Amino acid sequence: MNFNPKSIRVRKAKLGLRLGKYGRPLGITITLAIGLGAIALYLKGQHRLAEILAVLALISGAKDLWLRWDIASLKADDPAEGKPLDGILEANLAARLPWPASPQAVWAACLPDWRASFMLVRLGLHPEIIEPNLSTETGDSEAVWAQALALAKTHDAQDINSGLVVAAILMSEAKLKPVLNQLKLKNADIEVVYAWLERLLDLERIELPLYGGIGRDWASGFTPSLDRFAGNLSKQIQSGGHHFGSLTESSAVTQLITTLSSGGAGVAVIGAPGAGKTSTVYALAQRLIEGDGGSLAYRQIYSLSASLIISAAQQQGDLERVFMTILSEAIASGNIILALDEAQLFFNQGTGSLDLGQILLPLVEGRRLPLILTLNPTDWQHLIATYPSLASALTPIMLSEPDEAHVIDILADTALGIEGKSHVIVQYEALIESYRLAGRYLTEEAYPGRAIKLLELAANHPNGKLVTATSVQQAIEGSMGVKVVQAQGPESNLLLNLEDRIHERMINQTRAVSVVSSALRRARAGVANPKRPLGSFLFLGPTGVGKTELARSLAAIYYGGEANMTRLDLSEYQQPADIERLLEAGSPFLTAVRQQPFCVVLLDEIEKAHPNLLNLLLQLLDEGKLTDTKGRVVSFKDAIVIATSNAGADEIRQHIEAGEDLESFEDAFTNNLIQSGSFKPELLNRFDEIVLFRPLNEVELAQVVKLLINEVNKTLANQNITVNLTDEAVGALVKEGYDPRLGARPMRRMVQRRVEDAVASQILKGTAKTGDTITLGINEVKV
Amino acid sequence: MLALAFLQWWYGPGWFRAWNSLGARLKRTYYGFSVPQLSRTLFAPWRRIVSLGGGSLGERMRAMVDNLVSRCVGLVVRLLTLFAAAVIIVWWIVIAIGQLVIWPLVPFAAIILIVRGVS
Repeated sequence: MNFNPKSIRVRKAKLGLRLGKYGRPLGITITLAIGLGAIALYLKGQHRLAEILAVLALISGAKDLWLRWDIASLKADDPAEGKPLDGILEANLAARLPWPASPQAVWAACLPDWRASFMLVRLGLHPEIIEPNLSTETGDSEAVWAQALALAKTHDAQDINSGLVVAAILMSEAKLKPVLNQLKLKNADIEVVYAWLERLLDLERIELPLYGGIGRDWASGFTPSLDRFAGNLSKQIQSGGHHFGSLTESSAVTQLITTLSSGGAGVAVIGAPGAGKTSTVYALAQRLIEGDGGSLAYRQIYSLSASLIISAAQQQGDLERVFMTILSEAIASGNIILALDEAQLFFNQGTGSLDLGQILLPLVEGRRLPLILTLNPTDWQHLIATYPSLASALTPIMLSEPDEAHVIDILADTALGIEGKSHVIVQYEALIESYRLAGRYLTEEAYPGRAIKLLELAANHPNGKLVTATSVQQAIEGSMGVKVVQAQGPESNLLLNLEDRIHERMINQTRAVSVVSSALRRARAGVANPKRPLGSFLFLGPTGVGKTELARSLAAIYYGGEANMTRLDLSEYQQPADIERLLEAGSPFLTAVRQQPFCVVLLDEIEKAHPNLLNLLLQLLDEGKLTDTKGRVVSFKDAIVIATSNAGADEIRQHIEAGEDLESFEDAFTNNLIQSGSFKPELLNRFDEIVLFRPLNEVELAQVVKLLINEVNKTLANQNITVNLTDEAVGALVKEGYDPRLGARPMRRMVQRRVEDAVASQILKGTAKTGDTITLGINEVKV
Repeated sequence: MLALAFLQWWYGPGWFRAWNSLGARLKRTYYGFSVPQLSRTLFAPWRRIVSLGGGSLGERMRAMVDNLVSRCVGLVVRLLTLFAAAVIIVWWIVIAIGQLVIWPLVPFAAIILIVRGVS
């Protein structure tokens, strides 16, 4: 590349740089002072001196114009190959650039500029990390300039500015690759951030619109009622509250203009919550108030508030009267487009609700007032069913979800507004994380709305002044109760020692404890499949061997309490109609998982469920979600799903009694279950692990008794009384409480009946006092 | 070198820029005073304040008078606004003519200064 540091443009740029921020105001002040001096001298009669000063002021004024119109705003040639670098570089960069320059020197010349800072801060890069990895060979700069030109061409840049050169250096310097890889940054990410900067620069170049001037509305009527019950979106745009950038050029807005300007009765903008219906109407308002839209130019869009209208209605009939007044005003005004945001609110039937379908119908059919309704697809279908004539008179415009790249662009533009409000700076990784986590957790809304919502929440969790990926993770953790921030400190320790902690509550079943613990560790380390539940297990074994207790222990130890275990007894879902009950909107099971997605889901007695429900379970295990009857998705991707079954319990018992290890007959046992028709192979294959629980022997049951005694002691801790059992007493309880069919389950009842009763008697008799340790022998615990 | 650059700019891009600047001001005045809209709706009733009138001849006559008044008010306000716009536009045109004459002479002011200083 050619760069002439002595070219006129570079010299001018250097002059501009030297003058700095105060040079021009100082020059203007001097000019004014000379001019005032000339006037003063003229008034004093010193005409000759006044003339000289006047001419001096004229020359000084010309110099000020030059500094303002030329030096301070030096334009660059369109960047293209073959053009000299001094002509296509942004002026300040051209002034700072030494020549010849190594990539490191180019980097140093870029750094003082805000555009370079924009790139670095958004990408989360520190200049100190980058600089040592840059070449000091001047010949290596060619690759940087070539990359810069390529980027400028792709993004239609007006010049080669510092932000663009920083992007080019990051993308072209081979030594930086490991650094960028470590930060998970790819060239595509750098380009996205540069495009973000370019859009900001475009925004700066936009001239302030005139909005039609002072007499714009003089031919339109007054609208006092409308002003009371509706928000004037056009006025909000005009006052600078909103800017909708590229959305104003979207196909939906163009379609709105085409339909309404060609005499269309009205438009229904249909999209899922968060798809951008309201923003589309705002974007239309922006285009119209800026004089675009042909015959619709300068029309004002009012968004009617259903709640304000309802609150104004004192008596029966008031609603209709208020609404008629509003409509009459809007029609008479002649320059109004009426928007019914969340239009379903205006078509609610029932006492005290607003049902304006009958009033709107003649208005729409008569094409007397341009109308925009925003609805979600379900409400649109409802409107078609309730008011078919009204719906058929409206032109539907469907808003589809934008793709990921578009959502990230929208997020980037929205971030600038969030930054203004919250005084933070949003990093690029926060945008990506907002997209990812919103997709995973905010399933009831569509993009881009759900990602924007999450980014706004993340602004409340800044790291210093920066909104980072961690801010977004903290925001979702705070609002959804899930765990997404990387496990560290006490949580890491807990995960690494999870088996030990569970065994404090569980006796034996080491394999089951181990697989569940491993699944949780994999999930929290981010190596589990994010599209399925964190872990899914089928626990098989006789009653009372710890299947449910393991689920409960996991919930208590890791999920913060046994309340975070959602249990579904599948023996209650044996009829086809029961499935509908499970999936109906507001079903306790789905509501519990929706409210606390980070939980243990226990599906008890799976073998008793209706086959259709098991098919549903296939979807849950495969896709990590269920959809309720209203179409709302409930995610199970943060849950550990544990299904339990007693199927084949006798067979397990026989094997164990024959002295076999679980591992030796596990596979044959599973095959038997499939062959006997107890489970379909496709269901068993969906589980991460099928774990067999073996019956507990007497030694283990004695340990269970000790655990139960520990629980009794926890209860007695308030009274500072401790209870101990002699070994003989424990043995007696085991003997009496053991039931081969019920496992350890009767043991709790036994302890309750014998131990707690004995302790209660001693307390009531006064033989056990605060601070005492009660030791119960075989005689005390035997009836 | 920079003096030469100044002169090049003054008689080249600077000259165009000055005219563009004046053009932009004229445009802002023209649209800022809503000249196209006001011209198009010169005789329209003021803020659409109109009477619909009733069935009787008297009521219809009254409505006609009311509407005539509304249109007259609109006409007067719009004419006054258009007049203000015209004054400002004329002012900018005068400035433009002054600029046309003075602009090329400004660099020569230095010579005038020297001559006046010597004499």
